[in-house]
Amino acid sequence: MAPTTPENPPKETKELKKELPIGKSKDEKEDKDKKKDDPKEEDLSEEDQQLKADLEMLVERIKEDKADLYKPSIDTIKEFIRTSTSSMTAVPKPLKFLRPHYETLIEVFDRWPSGEDKLNLADLLSVLGMTSGNEERLDTLNYRLQAPSNNIGGWGHEYLRHLALELGKDYTRRLEKDEDVLELRNLALVVVPFFLSQSAEPDAVDLLTEVEAIDQLPSLLDENTYPKAALYMSSMVNYLSPPEDYIFLKTIHEIYIKFNKLQQAMQVAVRLNDVKLVQEDLDRTSDAGLKKQLGFIAARQQIALDATDPEVQSCLNNSRLSEYFLMLGKELNILDPKVPEDIYKSHLENTRGPSAATPVDTAKQTLSASFVNAFVNAGFNSDKLVLVEGQSASQQSWIYKNKDHGVLSATASIGLLKLWNVESGMETINNYLGMNDKYVRAGAALATGLVTTGVRDENDLAIGLLTDENYIENVDPLVKGCTILGLGIAYVGTQREDLTDLFLPVISDSSNALELPAQAALALGLIHVGSGDDKISSTILQAMMDRPQADLKAKWSRFMSLGLALLYLGRQEESEHILETLKAVEHPIGKHTRVLISGCAYAGTGNVLQFQSMLHLCTDKVDVSEADKEGDDLFQAYAVLSLALIAMGEDVGSEMAIRQFGHLMHYGEPVIRKAVPLAMGLISASSPQMKIYETLSRYSHDNDPEVAINAIFAMGLVGSGTNNARLAQLLRQLASYYHRDPNSLFMVRIAQGLLHLGKGTLTLNPFHTDRSVMSRVATAGLLTVLVSLIDAKQFILDDAHHLLYFLVPAIHPRMLITLDEDLKPLPVSVRVGQAVDVVGAAGRPKTITGWQTQTTPVLLAHGERAELEDDEYISLTTNMEGIAILKKNPAWEGRD
Amino acid sequence: MGGPPGDHGDKKDDKDKKDKPRYEPPPPTTRVGRKKRRGAGPDSASKLPNVNPNARCKLKLLRMDRIKDHLILEEEFVANQERLRKASGGKGGLEERRAEERVRVDDMRGSPMGVGNLEEMIDDDHAIVSSATGPEYYVSIMSFVDKDLLEPGCSVLLHHKTVSIVGVLTEDSDPLVSVMKLDKAPTESYADIGGLEQQIQEVREAVELPLLHPELYEEMGIKPPKGVILYGAPGTGKTLLAKAVANQTSATFLRIVGSELIQKYLGDGPRLCRQIFQVAAEHAPSIVFIDEIDAIGTKRYESTSGGEREVQRTMLELLNQLDGFDDRGDVKVIMATNKIETLDPALIRPGRIDRKILFENPDQNTKRKIFTLHTSKMSLSPDVDLEEFIGQKDDLSGADIKAICTEAGLLALRERRMRVQMADFRAARERVLKTKTENEPEGLYL
Repeated sequence: MAPTTPENPPKETKELKKELPIGKSKDEKEDKDKKKDDPKEEDLSEEDQQLKADLEMLVERIKEDKADLYKPSIDTIKEFIRTSTSSMTAVPKPLKFLRPHYETLIEVFDRWPSGEDKLNLADLLSVLGMTSGNEERLDTLNYRLQAPSNNIGGWGHEYLRHLALELGKDYTRRLEKDEDVLELRNLALVVVPFFLSQSAEPDAVDLLTEVEAIDQLPSLLDENTYPKAALYMSSMVNYLSPPEDYIFLKTIHEIYIKFNKLQQAMQVAVRLNDVKLVQEDLDRTSDAGLKKQLGFIAARQQIALDATDPEVQSCLNNSRLSEYFLMLGKELNILDPKVPEDIYKSHLENTRGPSAATPVDTAKQTLSASFVNAFVNAGFNSDKLVLVEGQSASQQSWIYKNKDHGVLSATASIGLLKLWNVESGMETINNYLGMNDKYVRAGAALATGLVTTGVRDENDLAIGLLTDENYIENVDPLVKGCTILGLGIAYVGTQREDLTDLFLPVISDSSNALELPAQAALALGLIHVGSGDDKISSTILQAMMDRPQADLKAKWSRFMSLGLALLYLGRQEESEHILETLKAVEHPIGKHTRVLISGCAYAGTGNVLQFQSMLHLCTDKVDVSEADKEGDDLFQAYAVLSLALIAMGEDVGSEMAIRQFGHLMHYGEPVIRKAVPLAMGLISASSPQMKIYETLSRYSHDNDPEVAINAIFAMGLVGSGTNNARLAQLLRQLASYYHRDPNSLFMVRIAQGLLHLGKGTLTLNPFHTDRSVMSRVATAGLLTVLVSLIDAKQFILDDAHHLLYFLVPAIHPRMLITLDEDLKPLPVSVRVGQAVDVVGAAGRPKTITGWQTQTTPVLLAHGERAELEDDEYISLTTNMEGIAILKKNPAWEGRD
Repeated sequence: MGGPPGDHGDKKDDKDKKDKPRYEPPPPTTRVGRKKRRGAGPDSASKLPNVNPNARCKLKLLRMDRIKDHLILEEEFVANQERLRKASGGKGGLEERRAEERVRVDDMRGSPMGVGNLEEMIDDDHAIVSSATGPEYYVSIMSFVDKDLLEPGCSVLLHHKTVSIVGVLTEDSDPLVSVMKLDKAPTESYADIGGLEQQIQEVREAVELPLLHPELYEEMGIKPPKGVILYGAPGTGKTLLAKAVANQTSATFLRIVGSELIQKYLGDGPRLCRQIFQVAAEHAPSIVFIDEIDAIGTKRYESTSGGEREVQRTMLELLNQLDGFDDRGDVKVIMATNKIETLDPALIRPGRIDRKILFENPDQNTKRKIFTLHTSKMSLSPDVDLEEFIGQKDDLSGADIKAICTEAGLLALRERRMRVQMADFRAARERVLKTKTENEPEGLYL
C-alpha cells in the first residue's frame, strides 16, 4: 500500500484518479485529467456515493455544535477508515473522500476546547494527515503527539511507516533548533513494538536509529524478533560513523546476552576488541562445552585470556591447532609432502629453446625452492627437502645448498613446516640453534618464532631459548635482528610487557645502526599490535627525533614507522595525538609515518573521509628529482596501501576501492603504481575473484619491472591457499615468460608457493567469523610484507627475503572441524555453499546457496558458509567456521 | 652446493614414473559470447556493486550512500588528475599520441578488409571464421579488438592477407523484431476504458508494479507474477487494456500477434520467438504483449501435417521462453485470447502465466460508463436517454456499444442532421443486434 503523494489537488476525485499510476510523471496525468474533468460524480459507483454521502454527513455533524454527537461521528469515520481495503496503488476511499474536508476539520479542531473529543479528533486527523496533509507540516506526527493513544497499530503498517518517517524528519529538525526531543523518543518507543510485531525489524531499528535511542531496543525484543534485528544491526555497523557504530555493537552484545546467545555475544565482543568484555562473556557460562567453544572463538582472534579449567585454557591457547590441522590433512588425504616441482609443473610450461632448461641464477632458484617448500608444506610437519630423516643438521642437507642469507631463510623454513607444533618443532630447531654458522643460528632464531606464532605456549619456550645471551645479546646484528624478529612473530598480539622492557633499550640505543632499532620497533609493533601503548610509541618517536637525518634515510627506517603505526591498528581517533606529535618530526619520515598511522588506525572501517584524504595524498605532486629528496614520495605508496586497509572487509567499499585502483594505475606516478597491485592483493587476500586476478595478470607484464614483480606477488596473495587452477595457469605462463629474469622468476615461484599454501588448506585473509571480524595480527603481518615490497629490490629481492615470513601470523587454516564436547573429533554431514546475504529479507531465506553435502572436516573457501545437514547435533557456535563443538540434540528422533 | 647428490637422482626416477605430463584441463576461456558478459570478466570491474536488501530500509540507504561517496571521490580524483595532466603535459601531446596510435591501428587493419562470420571461439585469441567464399579458417584475433563484442555468429572484419580478425561489425537486431517495438505509444489511456476496474487493477499489480516497485514484493517475500492472460468474449476490451498499459508505462513495450509467429520456413517461428524475448531482455524492463495467442497456443495433438507440427514447436519455444532455464529478469508478458479453453494447459500454468483475467460482457453500470465514454464527444439532441439501452437485457459487449454509437452517428449523418437523436440510437441498436445474431450463432463464445 504505497501512500500516494498528497500533493494532488483535492478536486480531482474522479474515479479513475484513485488508480494513481505511480510511474508516470504527474504533469502528464494531470493534463489528461483536466480534459475530462466534468463527469465527476457519475463516475462513482453507488456504494461509493453512499460512502461519500455518509462521510460528508458525519463531517457536517462534527462541524455542528452538538457535542454529544461528536464522539459517535468520529468513531464512525474511524470505523470506515479501518474497514476499508483497496489495491496497492490506491488511496483508501474514505481517506480520499475526506480529503476535501480536511482543512475544515482542522479548523474545527482548533476551535474545540480540549477534552476527550478533541483527543479523538486529533487521532483521526493524524490518520488523515497521511494523505491530505502537506509534507512540511508533518501533520500526522503533530496530531499524533496531541493524541496519545495506545492503539496506533490498528491504523495499519502504512500509517506507522509514515509516522516513523515524520518522526525522523522532526527529530533532526528539532535537534538543529535545539528543541526538546523527549516526546518524539517516547512516541518512537510506542511505535517500535508494533513494527516488531509485524516482523518489520529493519523498520524498528531504523526508527530507533533516527531518534538515537537504539539502546532501548533490547528491552523491546523477544525470542522471535531478536535474531533478525541483531543481524540487521550488525550489517549496519560497517556504515555508521563513530560513535554510533560502537553503540550499535554494544547494543547487539546486550541483545545476545539477554537471549543467552553467548557465542554470538562473544563474537561481538571480539569485534569490539574489548578484552574485558570477552573475559566477562567467557565467565558467564559454566557449561564446559560452551566454555570451550567460547575459548575457540577468542583464540581465533588471539585474545589472551585465562581460565581455570586446563581444557578450556588449551582452547584459549590454540595449543591443539596443529593436531586439528593434521587431522584435516589426514581426512583430505594430503599428508604426503610435496616438492616444489609438484607446484611448478614445469612440464606444462611452454619452454622456449634450450636456455630454459638451465635457469640463470641457481642460487635464487634454490632459495625460492626453500620458500615454496615451506609454504606448500606449511604446518604439515614433513617435507622432502629440509626435514629429511637421518640427515638433519648434516652437511649434506638442503639448507647448505643455499648460500649466505639463503641459509638463513632455509633454516627458518623449518619453523613454517612445523607451524603451531611447538614441541616437535622446538626439538628439530634445537639442533640448529647450537650451530656455529651465524646464518643458521639467525634462521633458527626466526624459526623458533615461527613455530610458536598464534599458539600460546605456557612454558614460554621461545622466550626461554631466545633471551639466551647468545642470541639477544649476540654481537652479530644479523643474529640479534633475527632473534628480535623471531620474538616479535612468536608473541604477536600478546602484549607481553617483559618483551617491551627487553626491546625498548634497543630502540633508543643510538649507537646501533638503524637496522636493529627498526627491527625492534617492528617486533614491538607486532607484539602490541593495536594497543596504542604510550610507552612504546614515545620511545619510537624519541628515537626518530634523536637520530641524525642521514640515518633516517636508511632503508630500514620504514620499519620504525611501521612499528609505530601497528601500535595504532584499528584505534581510530585515539591516533590523533600521535599524529599531532609527529608533525614535530621535520624529516619526511614524519609524514610517511603519519600516513601509515592513519591508514592503520582506520583499517577495516571503510571510513570514507579517511579514504578521501588518502586519495588527496595520491594526487599531490612530489618532486623527487634531486638526489637528496629521493624516497620523499614514499608516503604516496603508503597512502595507496592505506586505501586498501581502510576499504577492506566491507564489500561495497572494497569493490569501489578496486575501481579507484584502476584510476590510480592510470594516472599515478611510478611510486603509486608499484603500490597498487599490493593494495589489490591486500584487499582480496585469499579470495581469487576473476576481475582482480585478470587485472593483476595484466599488470604483471607492465613496463616497470617493480610494478610487474609486485603484481606477481599480489597474484600469489590473492590466490593464496586456494589452488586456483586459472591462477596456477597464469603463473606458469609468467614463469616461462620471465625465465631469464631471476628476480621476476623468484617472485613467480613465491607466488606459486603461496597459491598452494598448505596444499590449499590455509588462508591469508585477515577477516574471519563470517568476514565480520578483522584479525589485527593477520593484518599486521600482511602489512609488514607489503611495506617491505614497496621497495622489493632493497628487501625481499636483496638479502632480507626472510621478511616474507611475516606472512605467517596471517596464516590460518580455512577449515571447519567438528568436535564433541570432550574435544574429540566428531565427523558429521554438513552443507557447504556460497554465503547469501539474507539481511532484511522476508521470511526465513536460505543462508547458503549451491551447497554440497560433505563430511567434516571440510575446507571453506572465501565467502562460503557451512551448516549442519540434520538436527542430530546442535552446534554451539552459529558461525560454522574453524572449530565448532557439537552437542547431541535431545530432541533428535533419528533419521527416518 | 656441489653436484647433485644421490637423492636428487632418486627424485628424477620418481618423476619419470609419475610425472608423465599429466592431463591438465585447458584453462577456461575468459568469456564466451554475449550472454556471459554480465558478471565475470575484468571489465565488470567498472560495474557498481549490487545493493541488497531490496526493501526500503536504512541499510540500503547507507550502502547506496557509500557507493555515492566513493563515486564522488572517484570523480574528484580523476578531475584533479586531468587538470594536473593538462597543466604539466599540455593537451597537444596526448592528443597527438592518440591520433598516432589510431593511425597505427588502421595500418594494422589494412584495407580492404574482408567480412566473415565468426563460427567458434577457440581460446582468448584464436577463433574459427568462415568467409562468404566458402572455406573456414583458424585465425588469430588482434589484441585491439573488443572481445566483449565477439560472439559466435557475429560478423567480423578480416585482414585481407592474414585473415586475422581486426574488427567487429556490430550486429543490428533482426528487422522483424525492431518492427515489433512500439515507437509511438497508443493514445488510449486507462481513462478511455469504461469499467473494468477489477481487471485494470489486476493487470497493474501483475505487470506494472513489479517493474516500478520490486521492493514491495521482496518485502512480502514473494516473486512477482511473470505474466497475465486476458481472456473473454470478443469486444470486451482486452486489446484496449493492453493499449492502455502501453500508453501508461515507460517500459519497453513489444507487441506481436500470435499469427506472426507462424513463418514460412522451418525454425523461423521459434527463432523469432527467441528473438523477441532476447530483445525484451536487452531492453529490460519490458512488457511483451502477444495478441490472439490461440493462433499458436492450441492444445498439442498428434498431427501429420508438418505445418501443424511447426506451429506446435513454436509454442514449445514460447513455453521455454516464458519459464525456461534462463531467468528472464524484468520481462513481463501479457497475452490475450478469446478462446482460453483451447489453449495448451502448459502454456497457462502458474509460473508461466500467473494471473488469468476474465473480461466479461459489461453489466449495467459498466454499460452506462461505456455509453457515456463513447457519446461524450458526440453531439446529442436533448431527447436522447441512454438509460433505455442500458436497462435492456441485450448481451452487448463494449465493442457493440461502440458500434451502436457509431451507427447512430452514421444514421444521423445520412439525414444531414447536426445532432443524434434517440430514434437514431434505436435504429442503430436494431441493426447492430441483427447483424450480431446473424453472423454469430449463439453459444459460440463462452
